[in-house]
Amino acid sequence: MRALVDRVTAIREVPVFIALVLVVVVTGIANPQFLSASGAQDIFLGVAVVATLAVGQSVIIVMRHVDLSVGSTAGFAAYLIGNESARNHGLIYCLLVALALGLAVGAVNGLLVAYLKLPSLVVTLGSMYVVRGIFNQIAAGNTINDSQAPKFLGFVGRNSIAHIPDLFIFAAILAFIVSLIMHSARSARDLYAMGSNPPASALVGIPVARRTFFAFLASGAVSGIAGAVLLSRFHSADANSGLGLELNVIAACVVGGVAIAGGVGTPYGALIGALLLQSITLALGALGVSQFWQQAVNGTLLISAISLDRYLSSRIKPTTIMRVSS
Amino acid sequence: MRPVVLTIEGAFKRFGGVHALRGAELTLVAGEIHGLLGENGAGKSTLLKTLAGVHRLDSGSITLNGKPFEQGSTRSAREQGIAVIYQEPSLFPDLTLAENVFVGRQPIKNGRVDWSAMAEEARALFVQLGVPLNPYTRARGLSIADQQIVEIAKALSIKATVIVMDEPTAALSSKEVERLFVVARTLEAQGCAVVFVSHRLDEVFELCTQITVMRDGATVASAATLDVTEADIIQWMVGREISDLFPKFETSIGDVVLSVKDLAREGQFADISFDVHAGEIVALAGLVGSGRSEVVRAIFGVDKYDAGSVRINGTELANGSPSASMAVGVALVPEDRRQQGLFMSASIAKNSAVTMLKKIKHGLTVKSSSEIALAKTWAETLSLKFNDLNDPVERLSGGNQQKVVLAKWLATKPKLLIVDEPTRGIDIGTKAEVHKLLSQQSQQGLAVLMVSSELPEVLGMADRIFVMREGHIVGEFLRKDATPEAIIAVATGAVTV
Repeated sequence: MRALVDRVTAIREVPVFIALVLVVVVTGIANPQFLSASGAQDIFLGVAVVATLAVGQSVIIVMRHVDLSVGSTAGFAAYLIGNESARNHGLIYCLLVALALGLAVGAVNGLLVAYLKLPSLVVTLGSMYVVRGIFNQIAAGNTINDSQAPKFLGFVGRNSIAHIPDLFIFAAILAFIVSLIMHSARSARDLYAMGSNPPASALVGIPVARRTFFAFLASGAVSGIAGAVLLSRFHSADANSGLGLELNVIAACVVGGVAIAGGVGTPYGALIGALLLQSITLALGALGVSQFWQQAVNGTLLISAISLDRYLSSRIKPTTIMRVSS
Repeated sequence: MRPVVLTIEGAFKRFGGVHALRGAELTLVAGEIHGLLGENGAGKSTLLKTLAGVHRLDSGSITLNGKPFEQGSTRSAREQGIAVIYQEPSLFPDLTLAENVFVGRQPIKNGRVDWSAMAEEARALFVQLGVPLNPYTRARGLSIADQQIVEIAKALSIKATVIVMDEPTAALSSKEVERLFVVARTLEAQGCAVVFVSHRLDEVFELCTQITVMRDGATVASAATLDVTEADIIQWMVGREISDLFPKFETSIGDVVLSVKDLAREGQFADISFDVHAGEIVALAGLVGSGRSEVVRAIFGVDKYDAGSVRINGTELANGSPSASMAVGVALVPEDRRQQGLFMSASIAKNSAVTMLKKIKHGLTVKSSSEIALAKTWAETLSLKFNDLNDPVERLSGGNQQKVVLAKWLATKPKLLIVDEPTRGIDIGTKAEVHKLLSQQSQQGLAVLMVSSELPEVLGMADRIFVMREGHIVGEFLRKDATPEAIIAVATGAVTV
């Protein structure tokens, strides 16, 4: 029994999940409206885009990199889907365009980071601006509205199954599948090794550059798909769509137990992290706390999460032993 | 006769102007523990790294299990059956021990990593080695001894025929060393050829069946342990003339400048007491890892010490404050000049003047003409070879970089100069110039504390020599009494003084 307890608490996602439950229950007691069907819908629907992106981002952070271009890519992808749909292209075609955009951005990021060994923080900061710039140029002040967006996406954005919005179900399924891959595929295990000890991973024969490239490609693909979620959720898209999302996404990952130093964390943890941040934001509203405090609270939570992480890992120190007598 | 597993013949390897290997040879047979000995710089590391697939020989042949060994890839080296266990293994701290053993080769069932089979196989390997580690634990926080066990388990899992242990005992407690010996004998009994590199002669004699000694990149001798004595080995290791005469000038020894008393830092060194007088060069000798650099870092204040005291001219120095040390005239030229001693992309002039900014500044600015003037004086004194004092330091050769580091500190007119490996990696000619400079400075009354792994340098330069081993001073020699054999014997623990 003791061993079981130890193993469960050793799972990084458990404390995040407990925090999530606490926030929801405590707020629900103070304001029952929060726990109503529509309250729950607010949380799930509000989190769908960030959660989808966080699944992709967690794969990147696990290998001690970061992808800041996801917000721009998702926003641009949302716009392109609407734009192609308005020009009477079918849904599949529209989605493929979004996916192609994501893959293109991911491939460029991947090439620069994996093969030219440039720091991902700078590369993706650059591509974030480049993508946003091209997006602004093409969108040129236009707005995609509900009538231009594909009908199916509009429907999905409004539909729920058992009070759970389709969009969240989609994000959850994505998180489940990617988590399974991260747990069970040899190549995905390599990403954990790479994030845990980069020099050693090359020494044990992991094809570091190839793995890095494909991980960025995957993150790009997820960003493209997240464009569809974005359009579906807001029923509109313009040049500001997805602006600043990347930071919410990274926050969700870190709060959800994906260590920014790499090596640990799961996509489903990132999803739970996104849920926690979203429910705190809504809880503060439900408790009548001023909007302005919400960002401060989320920021504090973020810093607490990494402080706690550092504290816990500093408690297990490598022991240095030295022979004094001979 | 047991089958020969590995033969290295006529191995040559150059790094720039340095001949790391010139005619190294090694023969390993199945089921033996083979000691590989040699001083620092004898070429052991280069040879081992070649086997690990890190380096490629310039010439020479390596035959492994009857086939030519394919060099230059760590992955391929492993696949051919060579595993190298480093002194401090590099595990993946966030992965479980089982995954550390099988990283990149996890057992697969139905296209998915079979976690339970992986854990069971790892557990079986640990049991086979007699060290039942829990395969589910993460590697973070694991002791170095246990990390080595994980690496050895990995070696077994790839069915390595040659297992190289590079100074595995350097960071182990005596109990852990015993455990490692048991493991090594297990491997021997299973028919592996185990290469055991150590500086501790007692260990080599206890464990190894065959001993090969290297010196200056070549194999000097190889013999069965039963046929040789410790004295033979020491003779082979140092049997080199002190060929280059270092210009050592007669000096008059003055008052005590540095006085170190009972200095200790947990896990690194203890009971360190010695004095350095004005005009005297004192050397801290010993093997790499014996705690010499740690002691001088603590004296200068880079690291804090836990107990004891450091006095300069009778005044106690604040613990852990390099700026306090500099204020009373202590200068430290660190071991790794690229990282700790120089601003590589800044100019020669700027680097020489950086310690003198307070003296040459005008208000808030520093005139580059004053920097140049200062640098010029030193460039002449040190016969620095350069094109332009405005060139970045990284364009200078290693030896000339070292001169710039010395210039920068000598410009402060220190009372005590601490140099850590002052001539590592620099050519013979420049070496002699650096030695001359140190000797001149001590003649003018500078107290010099030198850490050096090169015995000829220690013997040629120092007025007094303290030998360290495992964090303790284990011997003191006056210049006239010091011989290479005596120092090696004390440093390796073959003899206690």
